[in-house]
Amino acid sequence: MSLSGIPWNHFDPLNHFPPRPDSAADFYPQYLSSSAFFNHGLPQLSSVLYAESPAFFNMNALSAEEMERFQKLSNEFEAELPGPLVSPKQSSSAVALEYANSDPTFATKTSALAVTHPFMRIMKGDGNCGWRAIAFGYFESLLNLRNSLQVHQEHERIKSLNVLLQQVGQEEHIYGIFVEATEEIFTQISEAIQRGVRDDQFLVDAFNDEYNSSAILCHFRFLTSAWMRLNPHRYQAFLSLPVDQYCSSRIDPTKTEIDEVGLQALVDGVIDASGFAVEILYLDRSEGTAVTPHQLTQNRPTAATIRLLYRPGHYDLLYQPEPTVNMEPVVNYQYAMTSNYPAWDQGALPFDVGSISMSIPNLMVDPSFGGLGASPMPADPSSPFRVSSPQEMYPQPPMNTPPPPMPVASPPPPRMSAPPPPMSSLPPRSTDGPQIRLNPLVMKPNLSHSLPVTTPFKNSPYNQAHFQNQDFEPIHWAPHESRK
Amino acid sequence: MDYAMEDTQNAAPEARESSKLSSGAQKNDTQSVTKRLQAELMQLMLSPSPGTSAFPDADGNLLSWTATITGPTETPYEGLTFKLSFTFPNNYPYAPPTVLFKTPIYHPNFDFSGRICLDILGEKWSAVYNVQSVLLSLQSLLGEPNNASPLNAQAAELWDTDKEEFKRLVLARHRDIEEIE
Repeated sequence: MSLSGIPWNHFDPLNHFPPRPDSAADFYPQYLSSSAFFNHGLPQLSSVLYAESPAFFNMNALSAEEMERFQKLSNEFEAELPGPLVSPKQSSSAVALEYANSDPTFATKTSALAVTHPFMRIMKGDGNCGWRAIAFGYFESLLNLRNSLQVHQEHERIKSLNVLLQQVGQEEHIYGIFVEATEEIFTQISEAIQRGVRDDQFLVDAFNDEYNSSAILCHFRFLTSAWMRLNPHRYQAFLSLPVDQYCSSRIDPTKTEIDEVGLQALVDGVIDASGFAVEILYLDRSEGTAVTPHQLTQNRPTAATIRLLYRPGHYDLLYQPEPTVNMEPVVNYQYAMTSNYPAWDQGALPFDVGSISMSIPNLMVDPSFGGLGASPMPADPSSPFRVSSPQEMYPQPPMNTPPPPMPVASPPPPRMSAPPPPMSSLPPRSTDGPQIRLNPLVMKPNLSHSLPVTTPFKNSPYNQAHFQNQDFEPIHWAPHESRK
Repeated sequence: MDYAMEDTQNAAPEARESSKLSSGAQKNDTQSVTKRLQAELMQLMLSPSPGTSAFPDADGNLLSWTATITGPTETPYEGLTFKLSFTFPNNYPYAPPTVLFKTPIYHPNFDFSGRICLDILGEKWSAVYNVQSVLLSLQSLLGEPNNASPLNAQAAELWDTDKEEFKRLVLARHRDIEEIE
C-alpha cells in the first residue's frame, strides 16, 4: 500500500474539499483538475462528466440548466465516510497496518504506538472529529472513574458555565437544547455508576446518535467560543484575525474542524477544571521513532488523561494499556525454544544457534557462584532473554508474578558479549550441572558436533577454546566434520 | 413481469421494516427540531425585531415558514417589503434552513429565482443562528451587498457605478406582496 493508498476517508473531507458553493466560475476547473475528485465516491457525477466530456471542458457550451445541475451536485457533494461517529474500542495495530508500507517514519512510529497505546477509537472525519474526541474522552473518563460525587460535581460545573454563554449574549432558548443533551449524558453516567453497569455501550450509542451528538458538540463549541471571547488576551496573539471573527468562522459553525488554538481553548475553558489531563500524540514525519506527545493541560497529578492521536487534519482517541488486564505470563524464551524444537538441529532453527546459546545464562556456572538466580550476566528487564528463576520456567498464576515487562514488538538482537567476571571468581568446573533446565540434548557429551563452537564463544573465558579458560584446549580444525 | 412482481413482494416486508425503523429515529429528531422551532417562534413573538416577521405556514407543518423583511432606510430597497420562504431540514439547527426570496428582487447576492448567496446559510452555518438572525443578516445584506461573490454580476457592477440605474432596476423588478399571492 503506497501513501496514496491510505484510506483518506479517515481524514476530514472538509479540509481537503472546502465546500465553495459561492462561485461556480472557478469552482469546477479546480475540482476537475483534481484526480481525487473522481475517486471519491460520486459515481453519478463522474459518469455524467465522462459522458459529456467533449462539451465539458468548454464551460460555455453547457446550458444554464446543466450548470445548475452540476452546481447542485457539487453543493450536495459529501465524501462517503464509512463507519460510526465513534467507533468501538479497537486495537491500534490497525493504524500500524495502514502505514506498514508507507513512509518508514510513519511505519516505525505506528508500530511503536501499537505497543505503548494498544487501543483506540476512530472518530468519523466529518468535520467534528476533534470536538467529538475530546467530548467523548471527557465523558468516558468520567464514567471509568466511577465516582458518583465527581460526576455530580462535573454536571454542576458544566451547567454553571451557562453564565459564559449569557455573558456573550447567547439566548437561553437557543443554547438550552444543547445544554439539555449534555445534561442527559451526565444523568446516564450517574445512573450507570449507581446500577453498577460496566458496559460503556450506552455512551458510545449516545455519541453515535447524530442529532444528540451534534447537540453536545454544539454545546462544547459554544462554551469554547464564549470562553475565547471572554479571554481574548490569551488567544489573540495566536490568531490572524480578531477573536470574535475567529470564533464565528472557526468555532461556531457546525462543521468546522477544530484547530490547535480552538483545541487549547476547549481544554482551558471546558475540560481543565475537571482535573483531567489532555495529551495529543502527533503522528507526523518529524524525526524520532515515536509519536510526539504534547500536554495541553498543566503537569499535575491527574485521575484520568484524555489522549488524542493527531494525524494531519484528523483526531482519534488513544488508550494506554489497562493496568487491570491480566497479561499472559512471560514465556521463557529458552524454555520455549528447547521444547519447540526437539533437537538442536541447526538447520531447523530459524536463528543462529551460536548467538542464541550465548544468551543461555548459567550454562557453565557452578552453584557456588552466587546460587539461584545469580548469573554472570546482569538481568536486563527489557531484554526478552533475561535470566529466569526456576519458578518462572513454567507459567505461574499471574498474581504472584510482578507486572511483566512490556512485550517488545521485535526482540532486540541477542547480546553478543557479556562482561566477563574477573578471572579469580571463575569457578572450577563441577559435575553438578547447570542451574537451568535445558533440553537433554544440550547436555550430550557430543554436543560440540551439533552445536559447533562459533565465533562468539571464542572471545569468552568460559570457552574452552579461550586461552584463559582453566580447561583450555585449542580448537583442532577438522574440515570433514566442521559443518554437520 | 411475473418475476418482477414476485421480487417486489418478497422485498416488501423488509423494506417496510427498515422504513419503519428509520422513521422511528426520524420522529425523534423531528420532535427535537419542532422543540427548537417552537422556542424560536416564541422568541419572535415575545421580542420581534423591527422590519422582520416570520411565522410557520398555515398547513401545520412547522418545517416550513414564511417570513418578511422590509428594506432598510437610505438604501435602494427603502420602503419595500420582501417575502421569503424558510424550509428547515430534519437535522435543523445542525444544518441551515433553505431560504428563498419569494418576492422578485434585484440584488448582487440574490439571483432571479430568489436564491441567496450568504455564507451563514452555507458552510458558515452555526447552530446559534436562527430565523431571526438570518432575517437580520439578509436585511443588512440589502444595504451592504457582498460584491466579492455576486450571483447577479450586472447588479454588482451597477451598485458600484450607477446607483440611479440600480435603484430603477430594483423598483422595476419589485412586486408587492399582494401581487404575488
